[in-house]
This record gives sequence, structure tokens and C-alpha cells, in this order.
Amino acid sequence: MPTSRRTFAAAAVAALVLPLSACGSGGDGGGSADASGKVEGDITFQTWNLRANFKDYFEGLIADFEKKYPGTHVKWVDQPGEGYADKISADAAGGTLPDVVNVSPDLVAPLAKAGLALDLDKAAGQYEKEYLEGAWASHRIPGTDGTYAFPWYLNTGPLFYNKSLFEKAGLDPEQPPKTYDEVFDAALKIADKTGGEVATLANVPTIEDFGRYGVPLMNKEGTAFAFNDAKGVALLTRYKELYDAKALDPQALTATPESSGKKFLTGAVAMNPGSALDLANFKKQAPSLYKNIGITDQITSTGHVNMYVMGLMVNAQSGRKPAAVAFAHYVTDAAHQMSFAQQVAIFPSTAGSLDDPYFTKEDGTDETRVRVAAAKSLKDAVNYTPVLFSEQMKTELRNEVAKALQGKQSPEEALDNAVKACDRLLQQQG
Amino acid sequence: MASPTLTTGTPGPGKNRGARRVRRQLPASPWLFAAPGLLITGAFILYPFVSTLVNSFTDRRTLVPGEFVGLANFRELLHDDMFWIGLRNSSLYVLGVVPALVLLPLLLALLVQKNIPGITFFRSAFYTPVVASIVVVGLIWVWLLDERGLVNSLLEMLGASPVGFLSDQWLILLSAMGVTVWKGLGYYMIIYLAALANVPRELHEAAAVDGAGAVRRFLTVTVPAVRSTMVLVAALSSVAAFKVFSEVYLMAGPSGGPAGEDTTLVMLVQRTGTGLTGRVGYASALSVVVFVVTVVLMLLVLRADRKEEA
Repeated sequence: MPTSRRTFAAAAVAALVLPLSACGSGGDGGGSADASGKVEGDITFQTWNLRANFKDYFEGLIADFEKKYPGTHVKWVDQPGEGYADKISADAAGGTLPDVVNVSPDLVAPLAKAGLALDLDKAAGQYEKEYLEGAWASHRIPGTDGTYAFPWYLNTGPLFYNKSLFEKAGLDPEQPPKTYDEVFDAALKIADKTGGEVATLANVPTIEDFGRYGVPLMNKEGTAFAFNDAKGVALLTRYKELYDAKALDPQALTATPESSGKKFLTGAVAMNPGSALDLANFKKQAPSLYKNIGITDQITSTGHVNMYVMGLMVNAQSGRKPAAVAFAHYVTDAAHQMSFAQQVAIFPSTAGSLDDPYFTKEDGTDETRVRVAAAKSLKDAVNYTPVLFSEQMKTELRNEVAKALQGKQSPEEALDNAVKACDRLLQQQG
Repeated sequence: MASPTLTTGTPGPGKNRGARRVRRQLPASPWLFAAPGLLITGAFILYPFVSTLVNSFTDRRTLVPGEFVGLANFRELLHDDMFWIGLRNSSLYVLGVVPALVLLPLLLALLVQKNIPGITFFRSAFYTPVVASIVVVGLIWVWLLDERGLVNSLLEMLGASPVGFLSDQWLILLSAMGVTVWKGLGYYMIIYLAALANVPRELHEAAAVDGAGAVRRFLTVTVPAVRSTMVLVAALSSVAAFKVFSEVYLMAGPSGGPAGEDTTLVMLVQRTGTGLTGRVGYASALSVVVFVVTVVLMLLVLRADRKEEA
């Protein structure tokens, strides 16, 4: 049967050659950074889990943009929060990345390195002065020249604590801890008084915690990690002390931010970091906790609180760069960020917006108190998580920290191993 | 009208043209019938498989095309502690889950086999976990086994200390195994019910007349009669157990339990190969290992069956 043999041979060759051909493709060079020209054409805009709550806001925004720039059409797609990075990976690998993409700095880094993110210093440098300096800088990637996303909304938050649990442990609920040492001492006291039943913290230290504690996270060149210095070891040693005393929740080694948030809601842990968004959640889901909620400043040894930054990246391979840049800027300009901030408890990244009375005047409610305090701290806040710190690196750090807490290795060994593993991954990232 | 059977006979002088036409048509038509299946198999099974195999010899990453690196990925995984942890946990999972899934559904099938009023309700009830989403089931068990969950509250009411089902590496693995067994019981029970329906009742009656008790009848009549089904269940459940992901992921968390000690091989594939900085080449090498071990497992089960038969 010569025909069938030929068919089989062709199928086998195709099966072998197609994957090999895939090896030769990939994003090794973005398009040009020139975004000048007429703002027109169809573009796709992708957000990160925003449709459910802000459908009307975005539909209005898009309609206004299309009206301002006749001849443009914006197709809005929203992706669920879960697996967002995987969705972007698939789109990036498949060449179907939308023209304007909602990203966080750690997502921008690999896209920029693969030439898929437009360098805004070149394409839209004229807009830089409109944004807070720190926010604009948060999408700069070590090892590359340029800024790869418009800063969008920011968030930060206080440290919430359960006043009744403080009271039960004999602590003054009106005098919450202000420094790391005070937090650790209070945690040990609460664990001691409750026989280990109430933990104060529910998460193991993350890279962001090391940053806020004042540990240098990377070398100046951004080519190697450095969080295994004496200060890093000191922080982990204190956490080990907490873990042994059950002042750090025993399930912290497997906890996620969601699970620790739930523990705080149920009164199983006494303190939890949060954001202005959480107050409404406490009110709705845990009214008894809300009555006893205490709010204190985010703990930091550096004087700068941590902030989370969202950005809008323009696809460097977009065929409609002028429209994509114009739209990304339109969404993130001061007026639109301000109107978005009035819909939900987030903060604009545009210069001067945080001086608006909306962010400076309290009306006696907890909501405005948190909002005003957060807005004040955001002016010189830092995004501590290095943009090159990938999910795999987070897992390596978490696992080594867990081994130290379990006593399987010393804090020094744990951090040395974590730095070694993260450096290896950093080099593999290229 | 040409019939395929014509080609098998000796063609007579008047049938030559028709037979030739049939021969010409034959090679194409089976392929046409098979084409949809072949296309689907090729696109969704053969191509990804070959692609994974090829990638395992490259240093490909999600956004960076890889270069051929020979056996470097396989050499690296031999020195990767997490690979050995994954292999250990996946193997332990097979050892813990397969015997339970071979035996318990058989006992359950024997229980619900009898045609008594209301038995359909119990059959459906035992089958319910099979149709429930594994994520929903996993989350329910996480709530039940939490430090302050229902199980620990009951233990405390009985005066016992709370158990760290979700904080101790071995208890997490055991709890996940429990969920897998609980969820799989109904599925394999149905398979056993079909097999038991073919066991002649006379055999049981004859054994009972000869004085065999329930246990003896189970061992000498039921087990030999459903032995091939037991092998099938062992093969299916061992492959599924070795590739376990969801149950452990839900109970141990994305990092794979304390210090990643509950990571299974498939979790490691997911963690290593996904995301924008995923190491596709290395994850492919891990997948190839999972494939090889799975095939070996199947062969071992089938070989054990043949030895038994001999």
C-alpha cells in the first residue's frame, strides 16, 4: 500500500517538523517604537477582572474615546483574575496579544524582554510628567532602557487588627504596634496569653516584607539578588521565633493571601495587612469584626510604604500603535483616573491627583480616614517587589523560608539557598 | 454496484473493470471515514505529544524560542530536589490510593448490587461525588479539615487536640488521598456493578451449598470472576493517581504544602512550565518522565495480570 505509507510518512514528518518549526519562532524583536500618525482603526483593550463591577464605567470610557477620535473602535475584553498571567502567556506566544493590556510590573518584564511591550519613553515620553515619578518608574525593567507601561491605578493599605483579641491578651487596643519589633512582641504576648490559640500573623514573609524591613533585595545593577544579608536573616529569625510560639499561624506555610484574609475575618488571627477595599468587605461579611476593627499604619522600617501598581501596556507589535497609545493614555490620564478612583477604593497615579480634596479631607468615617492616610503615604511609596521577581522565584523563596521556620535549616542557609535559586532563575530568564 | 468483498474473490473475466475500480477507490475511502478522528487525534494528541518530546531537548521558555540542548534538561532534573520530591509523592499516591480504589468500590458494589427497595437512591448517592467538580469537592474538604473546621471541632468536642490536616506535609498528602478515594468510589463501583452482573448466581449458590461463608464466597467466587475488572481498575486508577494534581493543589496550596514537600510531578510541571517566565523545555522533560513512568505502571499492572493468569 504505497499510498498509505506515503500518508503515514507525511503525517509523521509533519508531526515532527511542526513542533521544531515552532522552536524557531517567537518574539525576539518588537515592532518599531514609533507611535506617531493618525489615531484611527480597531484596537483591542484587555482588562484584568474588571467587567463584573465596572462594566458601565468602561463602556462609557470607550464610547467617549471613540467620540473624541472618530474612526476608532475599541473592542474591550476582560479576563478573569485567576490564570491571568497564563492567558497573557498564551496570547503572547500565539501572537494574539491585544493592543492595550492591563498588566502589573512583574508581567511587563518578560513581555518587554521579548520585545512585545512598547517602549513608552520613546513612543510617549511626552506624557511622563503627567504621572507620579515612582509610578512611571515602576515599569522600568533592569537590563533594558525604557518604560514599558503607562502607570494606572495604585493601591496600598493599612494594617488591620482585631481590637477584642488585643484586649483579651492584655494589650491596649488603642495603642497598636508601630514598628516591626512592636508587632513581634505583641504577637508573642497574644500567643502566650491565649495558649497559642490566636496567632497574630498568618503569612510567611514575602519579598515585599523583606523590602519593607529594609533588606536590600537586589544589587544596584539589578543582576543578582541580595536579600540574604544580615537584616534579612534577622527578619527570618524573628519569624521563626513567632512560628515556634504559634504567634505565626501554623497554616502560614501553606497560606495564600485569600486564606489568611479569611482567618482574620473569623477572628483566628489578630492582624492582617489590607487595603481600603477591605473595609467594605469587613462591614458586609464580618459585622462583629467590623465593630472591633482597629486600623494602623502599614509597618515599615524604611519610611516608605509598599504600593501595588497596575499599568496599561501597549503591544509593540500592534498594527494600530497611534490609537493604542492614545487610548492607553486616555484611560490613565488624570481626569479618567480620578473618575475611576471615585467608583472604587483605588488611587490615581497621576501627579497632583492625590492632592484633590477627595484624598485629603476626612469626614469622620473609617473609609475616608483610610483613604486619606493611604493617599498621603502613596506620594513616596515604593513597589518593593522587584519587577524581575517571577512566580517561580516567589515559590523558591517561600519554600526556603518554610524550611527555616520548620527548623530544617537555619535562616542564613534558607536565605542563601533562596538567593542562589533566584539568581539561577534570573540568569535563565536571560 | 461495487462491493469491497469483490476484491477478495477471484475476479472473472467480466468483472475485471469493476474490481479495478473498487481497488482504486478502496485506499482512499477508509481514510476519508477515519479522517475526522485522525485529525482530532493528530491535532490534540499526536502533535502536543511530539511537540513536548521535541521541547524536552530544548531550553525553550514561554516567550523565548529554545535551542537544542540535548539531554541537559534530563540531567538537570536528576539533580533537582523538587523532582525527587515530586516523584516520591506521586509514587506514594499510587501506593496509597490504588489498593483502596481496587477494593473499596468492589465492596460497595456488592452492597448495592442487591435489588431491594430504595437501593437506587444509595447507588446514586455513592455516585454523586463523581459528578461533582473536583474544585468544589476539594474546597469543601479544605473547609472541613481546616484547623478550625468541622472535623477538628468534633475532635475537640471529644476532648482530642486539633489535628493539623492542612499544615503537616504527610497529613496533607493523606487527606488528599482520602479525597481522591472518596471521589473515585462511585465511578469504580459502577464498573464493578457491571462486572458483578455477569457473575453466575449458581456459582454463589453452589459455594453456599458446599458450606462456604460470605468471606470465602467473596474470595473464591467473586474475586476470580471480576479479576479482569480489578486489573482494569488498578490500571486506570494507578495512571490517574500518578498524575494527581487538583486534590493536592487545593489542599496543599499552590506552593505544594510546607516548603513544597507535597508537590507532585504534575504540579511541578505546571509550576515550572507556565506563566510568562515558564521553562517550557524543562517542564516538557518532566512531562516525558511522567509519561514514561505512566507507561511502565500500565505495563507492570498488565504483566502482573498475565502472571496471575499463567
